[in-house]
Amino acid sequence: MLEADFRLTAGAFDLSVQLQLDRGVLVLFGPSGAGKSLTVSALAGLVTPTEGRIVIGGDPLFDASQTIDVPTRKRRVGYVPQHHSLFPFRDVAENVAFGLPKERRHREDPLVVALLEELELTHLADSAPASLSGGERQRVAFARALAVEPRLLLLDEPFASIDRAGRQRVRSVLARILADRAIPAVLVTHDPAEALELGTQLALFERGRTVASGTPRDLLGAAELVVEGVVKSRAVDGSVATVTLEGATVTGAASLLEDDDAGVVRIRVPVSTTADR
Amino acid sequence: MDSTTFPIVLSMQVAAISLAIVAPPALALAWIQARRRYRLRTAVDALVLLPLVLPPSVVGFFLVVVLGRRGILGEVLDSAFGLRLVFTPAAAVIASSLVALPLIVKTVQPAIEAVPVELEHVGRSLGLSPLQLFLRVTVPASWRGIVAGLVLGFARALGEFGATLMFAGNIPGRTNTMPLEIFAAYQVGDDRRALLYVAVLTVISVAVVVAASRLNPQPGGR
Repeated sequence: MLEADFRLTAGAFDLSVQLQLDRGVLVLFGPSGAGKSLTVSALAGLVTPTEGRIVIGGDPLFDASQTIDVPTRKRRVGYVPQHHSLFPFRDVAENVAFGLPKERRHREDPLVVALLEELELTHLADSAPASLSGGERQRVAFARALAVEPRLLLLDEPFASIDRAGRQRVRSVLARILADRAIPAVLVTHDPAEALELGTQLALFERGRTVASGTPRDLLGAAELVVEGVVKSRAVDGSVATVTLEGATVTGAASLLEDDDAGVVRIRVPVSTTADR
Repeated sequence: MDSTTFPIVLSMQVAAISLAIVAPPALALAWIQARRRYRLRTAVDALVLLPLVLPPSVVGFFLVVVLGRRGILGEVLDSAFGLRLVFTPAAAVIASSLVALPLIVKTVQPAIEAVPVELEHVGRSLGLSPLQLFLRVTVPASWRGIVAGLVLGFARALGEFGATLMFAGNIPGRTNTMPLEIFAAYQVGDDRRALLYVAVLTVISVAVVVAASRLNPQPGGR
């Protein structure tokens, strides 16, 4: 179980977060720069909030009022970043074994062998990270995070550097390994499909705040808002598009845009996606 | 040991001991400058560079002022421990260490900066202490830059002349390193003797330059 309620300041950016997860996967959803990755960093202990609490399984990892701040290395959180997730100077099996205690830190350790098998990586055990595809790399990163038996998995856009074809496979592998274990996970994503497939809970982020929380289906899937208008400007960042229409700005998955030839754009967005007037 | 081989052996010893002394603080400093943001960072950066920029005679003068027999620290060392550094091989080691430090820091620092910070974050999440993180993640990911820095530092220590002359003197059979011996032999017209040490130092320097350029991280690859 994860409970977090904290604030922190990074430069000119203020983050104020309330999160709650009893079991399963909590999706942090929202546009770029909304504070999702910074939230993951705070949960991991890589940045320190100015006030508030972070509790996992009843143990406080951070509590400003009691000056508790458990260092990252003692938090037992599995962290999978978007890029540079593998140690380039170690092969696949050595990467998986990396966090094990010294006496067990070898490629023949039963846990390493089992994780390679489970994540369909056995044939790549001797490969260098540079020779792997994006999807294979992230599967190795999942295996390495699971090897240390974490209390919480932190997945910061783990599919973002994977091509479309590989993404679905890694997504189903992740869904399977999370379903097989009782480890809660926090997943950062821009992609509504990812949120719907993997999430049990969802927290919607906007400009450094959690503005709504609920199930992904309630927040992303149930209703649809159709915005139509003449385009003033548009910007696409990864899979997310921000479109300014006459009098409205809409941010949502780029795949939801429909253009017609008269310069009018139609955007089918889940109601939860930002629509500022 | 005869008077011909002595300067070669002494120079090698001085450079090796200097490297052993200066490497740990230089690597720590390179890591701090690469990874920490603190108020005096720019000032420390400038201070580290100083021995590289100042004329060696100025560095030697400072060393005499601080550690000389009547120096600020030198007097204390002498009265408390009977330790006189000036005109000893130890003085040559101190002078060489000081001038090698900036070269090591300035070569290693960008190599550490080039290590993706995510790797260190992952390492921390896997339970690594700060020292383990440095040894198991940062060093393996930046070893080429680290070795290049150490090789350059060794070469700089080996070639140190001005500060050594001021602080350690040129005492035959005691502090006459190769660079000092070249100067001394040239002054008395013994070009054959000077040429021997010139050849030794040139061969080592060429080897160092080749090694450093092959080791230095190539953009985009490691």
